[in-house]
Amino acid sequence: MDRRQFIVGATALATVTTARTALAADDVVIGVVYPLTGNGAAVGLDAKAAYEVAADIINGTHAPIGVSMGNGGGLDKLGGAKIKLVFADSQNDPQKARAEAERLITQDKAVAIVGSYTSATGATISQVTERYEVPYMSADNSSPSLHQRGLKWFFRTSPHDEMFTKGMFDFLADIGKKTGRPAKTVALFYEDSIFGTDSSNVQRKLAAASGMQVVADIRYRAASPSLSTEAQKLKAANADVMLPSSYTSDAILILRAMNEIGYKPKALLAQAAGFQESAFMQGAGALAEGGMSRSSFALDADKLRPAIPVVNGLYKAHNNKDMNDNTSREITALLTLADAINRAGSAKPDAIRTALVATDIPGIQTIMPWAGVKFDENGQNTLCNPVIQQVFDGVYKTVWPFDLAARDVVWTVGT
Amino acid sequence: MTLETILQVAAGGLLMGLIYALVAAGLSLIFGLMDVVNFAHGELMMLAMYAVFVIWEATGLDPMLQLPLVAALLFGTGVVIYRGMIARALSVQFNRGMVQIFVTFGLAIFIRGAAQFVWGGEFRAVNNTLLSGKSWNLGGVYLPLPQLAASVVCLAAFAGLLLISRTEFGRALEATREDRDAVALIGIDRDKIFAMGWGLGAGAVGIAGVMLAGFYYVGPNVGASFALIAYVTVALGGFGSMFGALVAGLLIGEVEAFTAVILEPSLKQIGVFAVYLAVLMLRPRGLFGKL
Repeated sequence: MDRRQFIVGATALATVTTARTALAADDVVIGVVYPLTGNGAAVGLDAKAAYEVAADIINGTHAPIGVSMGNGGGLDKLGGAKIKLVFADSQNDPQKARAEAERLITQDKAVAIVGSYTSATGATISQVTERYEVPYMSADNSSPSLHQRGLKWFFRTSPHDEMFTKGMFDFLADIGKKTGRPAKTVALFYEDSIFGTDSSNVQRKLAAASGMQVVADIRYRAASPSLSTEAQKLKAANADVMLPSSYTSDAILILRAMNEIGYKPKALLAQAAGFQESAFMQGAGALAEGGMSRSSFALDADKLRPAIPVVNGLYKAHNNKDMNDNTSREITALLTLADAINRAGSAKPDAIRTALVATDIPGIQTIMPWAGVKFDENGQNTLCNPVIQQVFDGVYKTVWPFDLAARDVVWTVGT
Repeated sequence: MTLETILQVAAGGLLMGLIYALVAAGLSLIFGLMDVVNFAHGELMMLAMYAVFVIWEATGLDPMLQLPLVAALLFGTGVVIYRGMIARALSVQFNRGMVQIFVTFGLAIFIRGAAQFVWGGEFRAVNNTLLSGKSWNLGGVYLPLPQLAASVVCLAAFAGLLLISRTEFGRALEATREDRDAVALIGIDRDKIFAMGWGLGAGAVGIAGVMLAGFYYVGPNVGASFALIAYVTVALGGFGSMFGALVAGLLIGEVEAFTAVILEPSLKQIGVFAVYLAVLMLRPRGLFGKL
């Protein structure tokens, strides 16, 4: 027996022996699949806190909050039934995510699944939900290929990387026009799973379409012990804009590796993920300064979305940190799903699906800077537009679209 | 590829290779001594890194200055693990090999889980050390000082391990390795030698962890990727050979760095495992392994 087989066996054993609590008859069970141990655990544990806050908003007794399902007291059209969350640990492994989703549906009787951070796990979970015909609400999987598989039970509230990347290149075009110093070359730097691969494919396409030259195209192995050769390649290419698609540990490591060889990219524009994590800010410290990232969330857009400070206050009280790109989307996903279950007036998966298809939540009823939530025939929200943020003194500030900006962007390309 | 790039890549491979070598040295020592593969080796390194982080956060003491303290802590941890678990595992009558595997394996999973329970799943990093962010620029080739310091310490640790092998204790260690039953006849306390071996092995990986913490992130899983390379290093260098671990560590560091340049970075482990397989086919006992 090798180490891997052993881990699989031990996990299976732990799963089987997990005690399950009996449910009140009218609770609506929603399965939540995230990496709660292993390499993605930091993100997964924050996600767990975010869902607990969202469930409190739906179920609890409190003053009305200006978001959909923000009145509290449970699902009023189901006689005040409560949302009951059952969490499962994917360990960031697509096969474990598949098994856990199946268990949640068949044993815990989950009527919908939400998940799951990494796109690789989202891909396997949505296969299970398709087979069992229950909705999968993707809160934060961002690979465009996920909604392009003709799945009937897949829904995604947040933008996918094609929309994100389009936003990034729109920003590059805008800033080029505004300053007269456009970016001419880009360096792609991406991890080797579905997230990085999909992200880089779109970036390559859009760079070509906007006449930018790709001077480095670096696919690296995620969670490598060292990224110093990769940093050397980036330095040699010295692009105007570096476009990284990385999770947290790699994001910290590449910034350090570049710094060690005396290189700082002229501009860095990240496909969020690790770059939006608080652990990244702590680990990268001053090296993060001036870096940019796309985001679907803008904590500083409180004038546009008055519910942000209220919900952020609840989250902060629960998890001792501010909401970020991931946790805000997770809260939004559960609120959207609960809204559909409520409108369906039923906890039957096909009734929930019909209600999800009919979803139409205006932006002002969310905590996101989006026009709203409305799904197309593939289950993709079409009204979610990303923003670009830049790090000032260790905090991300929204810098684009210019009418949403909290700070003027610092743009050093061509100076 | 310019000469500057080649030199920079070679320097990066060298600096990383020395770390790999020191991580592997502790593993090799324990294996050579008593035929036990310590699956919790990476987790011991992770513990050392967390120790550095916790002490740094509480007192601001620079990782470099914590070296003796954390190395001693890990030495003690190694001895305790031997006395508490390994000695018992060695004393079973049936399936001794399997029991040994499961003991260190279970220990690895336990330490990893405990680390996440105590410190959370977040990645942490030690910032603003004496050396952090500083580099020597040698005509366009940058040598980051934290890694350079780590390399110097790794070499010193190797020298220390070689010196120890020249002492009476070292000869007792060697004798125990050769024939663990015969040494009892000449008055060597086998149990004590084994405990010291575990202490030294854990101490060595502890030193690697301390130096790594000066420039690397800390998280519950940080040991895993280094441990995998350490197992390859030990097999490549030859089980039980300190010198083999050093050469194999350097070789792996360089092969990894140059595979990343010549092929693509996502394939860099292919180069490592290709060399490993080639050596195993031509020389199954590893480069410097004894028959």
